[in-house]
Amino acid sequence: MAMTTGADESTAAGLRELLKTARLLLLVCGIAIVAGVATGAEVRVGFTQDALTLDPANHRKRETETIIRNIYDGIMTQTSKSEVVPELAESVRQIDSLTYEATLRKGVKFHSGDEMTAEDVKFTFDRLTREKAMGGQTSPRQGLLGPLASTEAVDRYTVRFKLKEPWPVFPRMLPVQEIVSKKFVEKVGSDALATQANGTGPFKLVEWRRGDSIIMERFADYYGGAPAIPPTGAARVDRVIFKIIPENASRMAALMAGEVDIVNEVPVFAINTLERSGKAKVVKANGTRTFFIALNVTRPPFSDVRVRQAANHAVDKKLVIDRLLGNTATPVAGVLSPESFGSKPGLKEYAYDPNRAKKLLAEAGYAKGIDVTLDAEGAFKDQAEAIAAMLTKVGIRTKVQVWEGAVLTPIWRAEKKERDMYFNSWGSGALDPTGIFVPTLKTRDRGNTSGYSNAKVDKLLTAADTELDRNKRADMYHQAEKIVAEEAPWIFLWVPQDIYAVSNRLRGWAPGSDSRINLHRAYLAK
Amino acid sequence: MRLGFIVERLLQLIPVLIGISLVVFLMMTLTPGDPVEIMLGDQLATAEQKESLRRDMGLDLPAAERFIRFVRNSLSGDFGRSFFHRRPVAEVIAERLPATIELTIVAMLIALAVAIPLGVLAAVRRGSLIDKAATVISLIGVSMPGFWLGIMLILLFAVHLGWMPVSGRIDYAFEVPRITGMILFDSLVQGRYAAFLNALHHILMPAVTLGLAMAALLMRVTRTSMIEVLQQDYIVFAEAKGLSRARVLVRHALKNALIPTVTVAALETGYLLGGNTIVEMVFGWPGLARVIVEGIYSRDFPLVQAGVLVIAVIYVTVNFAADVLYTLLNPRVKL
Repeated sequence: MAMTTGADESTAAGLRELLKTARLLLLVCGIAIVAGVATGAEVRVGFTQDALTLDPANHRKRETETIIRNIYDGIMTQTSKSEVVPELAESVRQIDSLTYEATLRKGVKFHSGDEMTAEDVKFTFDRLTREKAMGGQTSPRQGLLGPLASTEAVDRYTVRFKLKEPWPVFPRMLPVQEIVSKKFVEKVGSDALATQANGTGPFKLVEWRRGDSIIMERFADYYGGAPAIPPTGAARVDRVIFKIIPENASRMAALMAGEVDIVNEVPVFAINTLERSGKAKVVKANGTRTFFIALNVTRPPFSDVRVRQAANHAVDKKLVIDRLLGNTATPVAGVLSPESFGSKPGLKEYAYDPNRAKKLLAEAGYAKGIDVTLDAEGAFKDQAEAIAAMLTKVGIRTKVQVWEGAVLTPIWRAEKKERDMYFNSWGSGALDPTGIFVPTLKTRDRGNTSGYSNAKVDKLLTAADTELDRNKRADMYHQAEKIVAEEAPWIFLWVPQDIYAVSNRLRGWAPGSDSRINLHRAYLAK
Repeated sequence: MRLGFIVERLLQLIPVLIGISLVVFLMMTLTPGDPVEIMLGDQLATAEQKESLRRDMGLDLPAAERFIRFVRNSLSGDFGRSFFHRRPVAEVIAERLPATIELTIVAMLIALAVAIPLGVLAAVRRGSLIDKAATVISLIGVSMPGFWLGIMLILLFAVHLGWMPVSGRIDYAFEVPRITGMILFDSLVQGRYAAFLNALHHILMPAVTLGLAMAALLMRVTRTSMIEVLQQDYIVFAEAKGLSRARVLVRHALKNALIPTVTVAALETGYLLGGNTIVEMVFGWPGLARVIVEGIYSRDFPLVQAGVLVIAVIYVTVNFAADVLYTLLNPRVKL
C-alpha cells in the first residue's frame, strides 16, 4: 500500500501518456461529427433486407424483387389496387386457350441505349423457363410460369407465348418477370447479371454496396412507365437509395432522424410513436397473406367437424386484432382475402360464441374438454398464446409450442400429420385463388397442412384452374369456399396489412398489396 | 522464439480447422430444414424443378461426399456457391469480411483505450472513490446487453441530437477505391481524409457498443493484475532506485501486468466476432456475422460452413499473435 500513497503527481504523469490515445480519439470524433454530407434530390428507403442478387431470374425473394423492380420493368405491372396493366407491352391479348400475344411498345430503351425488342422478351422468358439456361443453372423462378411451353418473337414488336395447358392466371404472373437485354447478357455472361444491371426501368444502377445500400440514379431516357398509372415520364428524383437496416428499432430511428423517407415493416408497437412524433406518417396496404390455424383433420379430436367448428366459435378474432395487431388486419370468414379474385362478400362467419363452442364440444363427446398443442413460429408467439387462452376457456386446453420456421414447415407439410394445430399463413401476391386456395386445401397439395380432403372441393378447384370464363371461374371458387367454411379445417383468422411509414416530405408514393416500393413517381416536397 | 514453435502451431491449425468444418457441417446437415423448400417457399414448383434445384445446390450427393468435397475444395479457396446469393461463397465472404474486421479492430482499440488507463488508475488508487466508481461502471458495462445499448445510443445521438448516423459505413457521396475493403484504412492510405472522417463518424457508435462490454471486462483484468504486480519486489526495488513514478508504472508494472489483459483480449476477439451479429443488425453494418446468421436461417450450408471456418481461422491467428506478444511483453516467456 505504501506504493500507492503520496505518489499522486507521478501517477498522473504516468497516466497522461496512456490517456493520449483516448484523447486523440475524442478529438477525431469531434471533427468527424462536423463532417456532414450534403444530399441532392434523392429518396432513401430504410429497407429490411438486402437484395440477394440483381439478376431478376435468379431468386425467389420478395425483397429482392422490390429492389430490382426499380431498375427493371416487366411486360405487365400491377396497380396499387392489384389490377394487372400493361407496362412494356402496349397490350397482351389471349388468342386461344393456349396462346397469349403481347404487342410491345416501340422505342423503349435499355439503360445501355439499345432498343428493347421481341428478341429480348423471348430471351428473358427462355432464360426463365428452359433447363440450365442461366450459365448451366436453371432459374428458380421457372415454376412461377407454370405450363409456359415456348416464347416466340413473331416480329420486332410482337411476342407469342404458348402454354401446354390452359392457365388463366398467366397474365397475372407477368408483372413478376422483368425483361433483360439479350445483347447485354450475352456480352457480360449470365453470372455477371448478379451484380450488373441493364434494365428498362426508371432508375439505373450506380453502385451496390453489399449489405449496406443499393444506389440508383434517374434514367433520363425512360419511356415513362405504365400509362394506366399516371403520371408517366422519367423519374422525379435524381437518385434513389435502398439502405439496408434489418433491425426494426433502428429502421424507425433512421426515419425519425431524417436519414430515410420510407421504411417498410413497421412493427405494430411503433405506430403510435411514429405518428405522435410529427415527423412521419404511417401508411398501410392490404396484404396478400391469409393467417389461419390449421387443424389436423386426419385424427381426433379435430377429425370431428363439430370440434373444428367449436374452435372457430371460441376465438374472438376482433379482440386479438384490436389488442395485438393494432387494428391492422382484416378478419376473414374463409380462405380468400376480401381483395382477391373470387372472394365472395357475405360468406358466413363463425361468430365469437364460447357457449356455442362448449355445446359443440360436448356434442362431439368431449364435454370434459381436450388437451391439444398449437405449433407456432417465434414471431407469432403472442398471437398464438392469446388464441390458446381463448380456446382453453371453452375446454380446448391448448399449449403453445414455439419452433423455428425451417423446422416446423416440413413437419406440417409431410403427408402424415401427427400434430394438432398449426398457426400458419399463406400468401398469394397475384391475389388469385389458384395461388392460395389450391395449395392449401386441395387434397395432398403442397401447403395442405390440415390434411383436408374433399372430392367436391378438389373438382371445383381443378375445373376453376383452367376455366377461362371469369364469372364461371369466380362462381366455382365461391362454391368451394362455402364448403370449406362449413367444414372448418382451419380456424379462419385474418389478413394483416403491410405497414410502412413515410417522412412528411415524401410525395407520389403509396404502398400496394404486392409489397413493392416503386419509386418512379416519388418526390420530395420542398 | 523458435521456428519450431511456429511450425508446430501452424500444424496444430490443421486438425482444429478440419474439426471445426466437421462440426459445422454436421450441425447444418443434421438440423431439420430443407434449403430447397425454404427457397421456393409457398410457391409453385414441380417435383422435377425441385430436383433440378437440389442438383444445382449439390444436395443430391450423399452427406459424406459433400463434406469431402467441401474440405478438398476449401483447400484451394473454393468454398462452393451460396444457395441463396447464387454466386461463389468466397465472393460473398470477401465482400463482407473487411467490414467485420474493421469493426472488431476499432471496438478493440476503444476497449483497450478505455480499459487500460481506468484499470491502472483503479489499481493505483485502490479503494478510492475512483476505484469504486470504475467497479460500478464496469459492472454496468458487462451487464448491459449490446442491442439495448446500441438502440439507446441511436435514440440519443442520432434521433434526438442528430450528431451521428443511424446506420451504414460511409455516406454515399464518398467513394473509396477498394484496397483491403476496410474503409478507414483504405481512405487513410489514399489520402482521402474527408472520407476517413466520415467513415470514422459512422463506425463510432457500433464500435462503442461492441467495445464497451469488453472494456469493462478488460478493465477488471488490468486492475487485478496491476494490483498484483505493484506488490512485487522488483517494483519496490525500481522505486528504491529512484526511478520516477511514471516510469515505474508504465515500464515496469504495466508491461508485466498486461499479459493477462492481452490473453483475455485475444480470447475475447472470438466474442467480438460473434457479438458482431447483434451490433451488425442494430447498426445495419454490412459485415460477415450478419450474413452468416441469415445463412443459418435459410440453411445456406456452403455460406455458413465457409463463414464459420473463416472466423475460426481469424480467431486462431489472433490467439497465435497473442502468444507472440507475450514474448515481447515479458522476455522471460519462452516459446
